[in-house]
Amino acid sequence: MRTWYRNLDYVTVLAWIGLVTVGLVAIYSTTHGEAQKYLLDTVRQNFERQLLWATICIVGIVIALMLPVRFYQKAAYPAYIFSLFLLLVALIFGREVNGARSWIYLGSIGFQSSELAKVGTVLAVAQLLSSRRPNSSNVRFGLAAVGLLLIPAVLIVLQNDTGTALVFIALAPIMLFWSGLPLNIVLLLVSPAVAGYLTIVYWPAALAFAILFTAGLYWRTKDYRITALAGIFTAGTMATALFALAQVLKPHQVARIISFTNPEAEEFRSGVGFHLVQSKAAVGSGGLFGKGFMEGTQTQGRYIPGQSTDFIFSVIGEEWGFVGAILVLFLFALFLIRLVSLGTQVKHPFGSMVAAGAAGIYLIHVFVNVGMVVGLLPVIGIPLPFLSYGGSALLANSAMLAIALSLHMRRDDFSIYGY
Amino acid sequence: MYPERHTGSLHGQSMEEYRVRVRIFIGIILFATSVLGLQLFRLQIINQDEFREVSRGNALRDLRVLPARGAIYDRNGTLMVHNEPTYTVTLTPRYFDSSKIGLLAQLMEVPDSVVTAKLAEARRWNSYRPSPSFRNVPFEIYSRVQENAYLLPGVGKEIDQKRRYLAEARAAHALGYIREINRAELDNLEDQGDGANEAKYRQGDLVGKTGVERRYESFLRGIPGSAFKVVNVHGLEVKSYQDGQEDTAPSSGYDIHLALDIEVQALAESLFVNKRGAVVALDPTSGGIITLVSKPDFDPAVFSQPLDTDTWQYLNDNPEKPLYNRATMNRMPPGSTWKPFMSLMSLAEGTIALEGANSTYYCPGYHPVGRGQFFRCMGAHGPMNVRNGIKNSCNTFFFEMARRMDISTFKKYANMFGFGVEAPTDIDEQTAGLIPDSAYFNALDPDWDVGYTMNLGIGQGDMGVTPMQLARYVAAVANKGLLHAPHLVDYLEDPGTGERVEPPDVPDPERIPISELFFDVVRDGMRLVMEQGTGRLSQIPDIPSGGKTGTAQAPGGMKDHSVFIMFAPFDDPQIALAVQCENAGFGGDCAAPIASLIAERYLKGELPDTYETRFRMNRALNAKSQTLPELRSKATPESATPGEAASDLARANG
Repeated sequence: MRTWYRNLDYVTVLAWIGLVTVGLVAIYSTTHGEAQKYLLDTVRQNFERQLLWATICIVGIVIALMLPVRFYQKAAYPAYIFSLFLLLVALIFGREVNGARSWIYLGSIGFQSSELAKVGTVLAVAQLLSSRRPNSSNVRFGLAAVGLLLIPAVLIVLQNDTGTALVFIALAPIMLFWSGLPLNIVLLLVSPAVAGYLTIVYWPAALAFAILFTAGLYWRTKDYRITALAGIFTAGTMATALFALAQVLKPHQVARIISFTNPEAEEFRSGVGFHLVQSKAAVGSGGLFGKGFMEGTQTQGRYIPGQSTDFIFSVIGEEWGFVGAILVLFLFALFLIRLVSLGTQVKHPFGSMVAAGAAGIYLIHVFVNVGMVVGLLPVIGIPLPFLSYGGSALLANSAMLAIALSLHMRRDDFSIYGY
Repeated sequence: MYPERHTGSLHGQSMEEYRVRVRIFIGIILFATSVLGLQLFRLQIINQDEFREVSRGNALRDLRVLPARGAIYDRNGTLMVHNEPTYTVTLTPRYFDSSKIGLLAQLMEVPDSVVTAKLAEARRWNSYRPSPSFRNVPFEIYSRVQENAYLLPGVGKEIDQKRRYLAEARAAHALGYIREINRAELDNLEDQGDGANEAKYRQGDLVGKTGVERRYESFLRGIPGSAFKVVNVHGLEVKSYQDGQEDTAPSSGYDIHLALDIEVQALAESLFVNKRGAVVALDPTSGGIITLVSKPDFDPAVFSQPLDTDTWQYLNDNPEKPLYNRATMNRMPPGSTWKPFMSLMSLAEGTIALEGANSTYYCPGYHPVGRGQFFRCMGAHGPMNVRNGIKNSCNTFFFEMARRMDISTFKKYANMFGFGVEAPTDIDEQTAGLIPDSAYFNALDPDWDVGYTMNLGIGQGDMGVTPMQLARYVAAVANKGLLHAPHLVDYLEDPGTGERVEPPDVPDPERIPISELFFDVVRDGMRLVMEQGTGRLSQIPDIPSGGKTGTAQAPGGMKDHSVFIMFAPFDDPQIALAVQCENAGFGGDCAAPIASLIAERYLKGELPDTYETRFRMNRALNAKSQTLPELRSKATPESATPGEAASDLARANG
C-alpha cells in the first residue's frame, strides 16, 4: 500500500519553504543588525517569533494534509460564518493596531481577524461556486459569490483596513473568471480599476484606455449593451476619480492617493511620500548584487517604516540587489503557476476553485505589495505573503495553501457526483 | 506542469475554453511579475546611481575625528601643555528606561532628582539624540557607568579633549588660551575663502584665542579625519560604513617648542607678588623669548572647563586687567632706560663726540633752558661725557642731547631700535607704542617748542614704549647693533615624523647702522651703572653685566613706574631683559632686583643660597605696586595738575 502522502506536490512545498526562508532572512537582518540596541524589546524578537510561527505552520500543514476532502467541503460555510463572527468581535472588542481595528487578543497572543477571514471566504466561495447545478442561473450564483466576498470586505472597511478589503473585492473577478464567467464580463469588471489607476498616474492615458477598451469590447462582442457598459465603467471611473480628486476628497486624502506618482516632491517627501522615497532609495541603491546581508544602510538605519512587515521586499532589494529581488519574484511566479496547475489537476471544482482562489489572493498581495515597495502603486498596507513578519498572515496563507495541497493530494477521494 | 493530464470539463465549460482560462491566468501571473521585474530593473540597474546618492545622503554621516592638538614644550624640552580626555555621560531619553533612574543616580553619585531633571532637559532638546547631560565626569565615575552600560540603555559616552597645563609657571599671556569658536571667527574663516579651514571648523570647536594658541592655531590644530558611520532614521550611529574602508585618520597637530625657559618663567612670575608689571627676557643671540610675564595674570586652565560667569566677569572687568598682556601692550615712558639710546643716537649723529672738546657737557644741577626751574638734575654732576652721563643718569646731559636733536631724526633712530613700530614677533597682541614727530606736536600745540622735546631726552613726556620693545632694544645694545625679531616659538615638530619646521614669519635680524665703537662706550656706561651706579645693589655675583634703571612718570598722581633694563654676561650676553613694575617707585627698587634674579637664574641654572640672593630676593618681594584707585575703598582725588606733572618730571631722573 502506498503512503497517504504519495500525491503530495513537493515542488509547491519547497517553494513555500523557500519563500518563508527568504522572509526569515530578511526579518533577521532587520532585527539582528548592529542597530539592535536601538530596537524596542517587542521588535527585537520579531525573528524568533516568526520562526516560531513558521514551525507552528509546518505542524498545521501536516494536520491539514491529513484531513479528508469532505471535511473541507463541510467546513466551508461554518468556517465562513466563524470568520464573519471573528471580524465582528474584532470590530467591537478588538484592539487597534496601526489604525486598523482588526486584532483580537487572547491574553498576549494577538491575531488579525481579517487575515483568517480570507481562508473562510475562499472556502465558502469555492463551495458555493462548485455546488452549482449545470442548469442553474449563472447570474444568481455569480451575485451570491460577490455577496459572500462583499460581506467580509464591508466589515474590514469598518475596521478601517481598506487595503485588506480591496483584496476581497479584487478576488471576485478572479474566482468568477475561474468558474466560467465570460472573459468579456471579467474584463468589464476589471476595467474600472485600470481606468482609475491610469487617471491618477496620467489622465490622458486613462482617456486612451477608455476609448481603446470600449472599442475593443465592441470589436470582440459586437454587443451594444456590453460596449455601453464598458464606456460607462471606464469613462465614468475616470470622471468620478477626477471629480473626487478635485472636489470631494480633502487635500490630505488626495495627497495619500497621488503621492506615489511623485513621492520625492517637496510637499510629500517628509510626509505621505516618506515611505516611498525611502523604499525606492533602498531598492534602487541595492544595484545589481545588493549591499550584502545586514549591510543595507537603509535597512539597518530603519529608514523604511514597516520594513519587517509590509516593506519587507525593500530589505531584499537593498541587501540582495536586483539578482535577489528578481529571484524572489521568479520564485513567486513559479509557486503561483504551480498552484494554478495543481488546481487544474483536481477534477472536482471545489479543489480547483480553492487552488485558484488561493493563487488569486497571493497574486493580488504580491502585485500590490511589491508594486507599492517599488513605487508603482500607492501605499496600501497589505503584507507580502510568506515573507512579511506577522503570525496571523503567515498562518492564514499557509493554511490556505495546505488546504489546496490537501485537496490536490486527495483529489481521487472526491465524490464522483461532484459534491 | 501545464494541465495536459486534465480530462473532462469544469462547470460545464468546454475543455478548450478551460485551457484558455488556465493560460490567461498564468499569463496574468507572468504579466504581473514581469511588470514588477521591469520596475526593479529601472530602479536597481538604470537609476541605481541616483538612489545610491539618496541613500548615502540619508544614512551616511561623515563624522569628524578631531586630531590631537599639538603639545607645547619649553626650551629644555619640558612638557608645558598637552591634552587630557574629558568624559561626558550622555542621555538619550527615548531609549532610557526610567526604572533605572535610581541606578544611574547611584553610579553618578547624585540624587535621583538630578537625573530626573537632566532627563527632562534632554527630552526638551531631542528625545532621540544623546544629550551631553553630565560633562567633565571624573574618570572613576565614568568607568563605573561604563561597566554597567548593559543595564543602562540610552546612556552613552563621549570623550573630548581639553588642555592640561603641567608646568608650575602659568605663562598665561605667552601660551594664551583656547575657547569655543565664535560666530565672527567662523564668518571670518569663510570670508577668507580658505576652503581647507572652512571645512575644518564648526560651531562648538575650540580655537586659540590669544597667544601661541592663537598665532599657531593652524599648526597646533592638525587635520581632522573623517569616519563614515551608518546612522539610523533618528540620527543615531549604528555602525561603521563598510568597516571603515573609506575613513581617513586625523593627523595630529604640530608640537611646539618654545624658546621660553619654564623654570626662569616660574621664578619671574613668583617675584611679582603684590605687583602689576611685566618682564620680557630675550636671548640676544637669537631673539628667542626666554621669559614673558604679565601680572596680574590668569590660570589658562580655567578655560579648559565651562567658564562660570563670575570668573569671566572677573577676568574682563577687573581694573587690574588680568587678560591684558602688559609685556607687549603696556605703553609707558621708558624713563632713564632711554639714556643709552640717546647716547647712541647722539654719537652716531655726531652731536657729541667720544673724545676732544665736544665730548663733554657741563652739568650745574640743571639745564640752562629751564633756568633752574623745570629742567633740573638730581645733582650738580660737573662735566659729563657719554659714559659718565649714563653711569650718573645725568638729566642735564641728556636734556642737552635732546636739545641738539631735531624731532624727525629722533624718530628715525627710535624706529631703528624698534620703538614706535610693531615688532616682527609671533605675539599678536602688541602695540606700536608712541614716538612723537612734528606732526604729533603740531596737533598737540601749534606753538610747541624745545620744552616739549627736551623731555624726550630723559625718556619722559609724550612717548610710550612697551617692555617687549625695551627688551629688544637692550638685546641690540648687548650684541652691539643686531636687532632680532623676538619670538616665542623656537621650532615646530611633527609628532608623527619628527620633522622640524621653523616658525614662519620670523625675519632675519636687522643690523642697526651705528658703529660698534659707540656701542662699546654705551655698554661701558651700562656696566658702570651696575658696578657703581643705581644698579649696584642688583649686581649678579661673579657675572659682570650691563644695566640701566628707569623711573617712568605715572599719570594721575600715582607712584612712578619702576623700570629696569639689563644684559648679562657683559662680554658674551646670553640674556637681555626689561622689567617694569607699575607704580612701584624708583627703578632700582623693584625692577632691578627682579631682573637680576631672573638673569642669574637663567645663567647659572639655579639661585645659590647666598646673602646676595636673599638680599635681592627681599628687595624684589617687598616691593609693591601702589593699589589702583579703583580698588581702593575710599576714592582719592586724582588727575594731576600741570604743576604736579612738572614736579613729577623734576623728580624723575632714575
